[in-house]
Amino acid sequence: MAYPTAPLEVLGLWTGWLLMLMIYSYPLYKENIVFRWAEHTYIAVMLAVNLVMMVTNVNRIAIQPMLQGQIHYIIPIILGLAMYTLLVADYRWISRYPIAVLVGAGFGLGMRGVLIPNLLDQVVSTITPPAGGAAMDWFNFIYIAIGTICAVSYFLLTYEHTGALRYPTRLGRWFIMIGLGAYFGNTVLFRLSMLSGRAQFFLQVLKIIPM
Amino acid sequence: MSSETIWDKLQNIDRKVFYWILWIGLMIPFIRPIGLPISIAPSTRDLYNGLLTLEEGDVVWINIAFGVSAWIDCMPATVACTKVILRQGAKLIVVGAYTDADLSWDKLRNSVPDFDQLEYGKDYVYLGYYTGGEAVVAQIASDIRSVFPTDAYGTPLDELPLMKEVNSVHDIDMVLSGDTGDWGDYYMRQWASPYGIPMAEIGIAMLASSYMPFYKSGLLFGISSSSRGGAELEKLIGEPGEATVIMDALSVSHLMVIAAVLLANIGYFATRGRRR
Amino acid sequence: MSEVYKRELVYLVTAVITVIMFVEYFFLGTWQLAETLRTYATIIANIALGLGAITLVVSHAKKIQRRAAGVWAFSAWLLIFLAISFLSGLAGWAMTGSGQGNPMYDWFFRYVYTPLGQTLYPITGFYIFSACYRAFRARNIDAALLLIAGCFVILTNAPVGGAIWGGFPIIGRWFLDYGQVPGMRTFLIVGAFGMLAYGFRALLGRERGFYGEVAGGE
Repeated sequence: MAYPTAPLEVLGLWTGWLLMLMIYSYPLYKENIVFRWAEHTYIAVMLAVNLVMMVTNVNRIAIQPMLQGQIHYIIPIILGLAMYTLLVADYRWISRYPIAVLVGAGFGLGMRGVLIPNLLDQVVSTITPPAGGAAMDWFNFIYIAIGTICAVSYFLLTYEHTGALRYPTRLGRWFIMIGLGAYFGNTVLFRLSMLSGRAQFFLQVLKIIPM
Repeated sequence: MSSETIWDKLQNIDRKVFYWILWIGLMIPFIRPIGLPISIAPSTRDLYNGLLTLEEGDVVWINIAFGVSAWIDCMPATVACTKVILRQGAKLIVVGAYTDADLSWDKLRNSVPDFDQLEYGKDYVYLGYYTGGEAVVAQIASDIRSVFPTDAYGTPLDELPLMKEVNSVHDIDMVLSGDTGDWGDYYMRQWASPYGIPMAEIGIAMLASSYMPFYKSGLLFGISSSSRGGAELEKLIGEPGEATVIMDALSVSHLMVIAAVLLANIGYFATRGRRR
Repeated sequence: MSEVYKRELVYLVTAVITVIMFVEYFFLGTWQLAETLRTYATIIANIALGLGAITLVVSHAKKIQRRAAGVWAFSAWLLIFLAISFLSGLAGWAMTGSGQGNPMYDWFFRYVYTPLGQTLYPITGFYIFSACYRAFRARNIDAALLLIAGCFVILTNAPVGGAIWGGFPIIGRWFLDYGQVPGMRTFLIVGAFGMLAYGFRALLGRERGFYGEVAGGE
């Protein structure tokens, strides 16, 4: 992508650059007026984007089909509007019906969905020995099998972790810590990756590096 | 106060000093690139190899479930995968689960020159934004038209040649989900697991951890992790791009993190005896 | 009577829809009724998108009304800018079928929303760096294991790790491909059990938090 030349694009680029500095004035300096202004600007424009998307999408998936003869779409439209009774204390109970539809569909799909990929597949994968005979494959298989059993036992919250459960649960906590350590390492990658992108943008707008 | 050692002082550095060191440190590699080589993770290679199994005419569904904030993490890998998919002669359907999906689509469209040789509606389609969590993903699996009666530009699906034959998950040959959150779970639970449709994940780095068990159990055929995965895919297709450029900045910033951890622990153990 | 349609009937609706989803999955494969209900849920979720916006508008309007010190001017700006950008997007949609059809909205979308979105989230990068210095210490075996795994993964994710010592990416890759699997798999398994338990409680009307109910109240 080349550095823009159209005046509105250049203005946009510098606007974005200034807004970025305003936001970073908070961590790099302290909370101040320009940071709060930029923060409120973001909330405003994000809400506007959400609202515009809501209007266009509801029109596309509900209103237009209804106008074209699928009259029953009036039901979800009314139920959707009923959600807004949440804002009126006396009629708040009406909003429970659309919530019931969302919760019923959500739980029904979620519960039936987790059975195979999250439970069955994971158990099968844990206890399936490696096809090859390499020593490292067997080590990894035993590590994962023992680790998973011990870590799951750590979540046996209805029993006190004493007696026979004492050592497996303690070992399980170590396996969980290793997992969380790797997760933390990946979190560092994610956050610093995003920040690197901003540092790059900072230099690009100043034309110190090419865009 | 007079008994304060260097370690005590180091433990009490103002956090803003760290912020400034990081911010300036991140910029240096952009001005003076290092160009360190990168290795390819097995999960990324499997993702790439999986894409190479696509045949001409196969239909691939790309779910953009990341916003502009995660472009640097997920977009380079999405761009690289899109290039491979189109070069294999497969057809593409793109949807977006964030309200800024249109911007992400513009970015993807403009980052893949291959689109210029293809015809919209026949070779690729952008269906636009959708929401509704797991329910909407399950519903698309049974009937795409009930969620997307038209594409993002208002054209009825039946008027798009590509969509004439695509009605449900049975007409899709592969799914790629680019995620910052739960949408990958929804696709795994409602598409990949019940229908056996091949699926891969282009996620932020934490999802590479969370979804690793799915990759190990065979539900995902590949995972690309954050910008690192993007850089690996760029290397695999031989076209360095946005992710490759920031790898040096990642090297410097990650080194700084390691230095901070080491320094903190040396200080901790040096002063531990005295604290006791 | 009012309790019946304010509470019991609501729980019944949740239970019936949950059971319909089960029946479709375990016995029928596809069921038109389940599909229709999912479409309805999708439309409701879309319409509900505006709820957060309205709540926020009301909250900021109250701050302006109260002339809350140091706050109300920002709230006023928020509402003004929200109105300008929303109405411009609406005008664009009315004219062209897409909010981006309006040049003003499109400009806000590209040059205000995008850079701010890309800027706000990475702030945590600063915090994670200082947190590494302040909190990431090997105080006991648990913390040491977390630290060791974390450091190897950090040196694997960054190309510099391999440049320093070829063993870093090998060990770090092991942590990523195998070392973390027991922990992450456990979260999947116990999370699934948690979801099943929570779902069954909802099915039986025992779990009511998401209806906005509080213990003993409306």
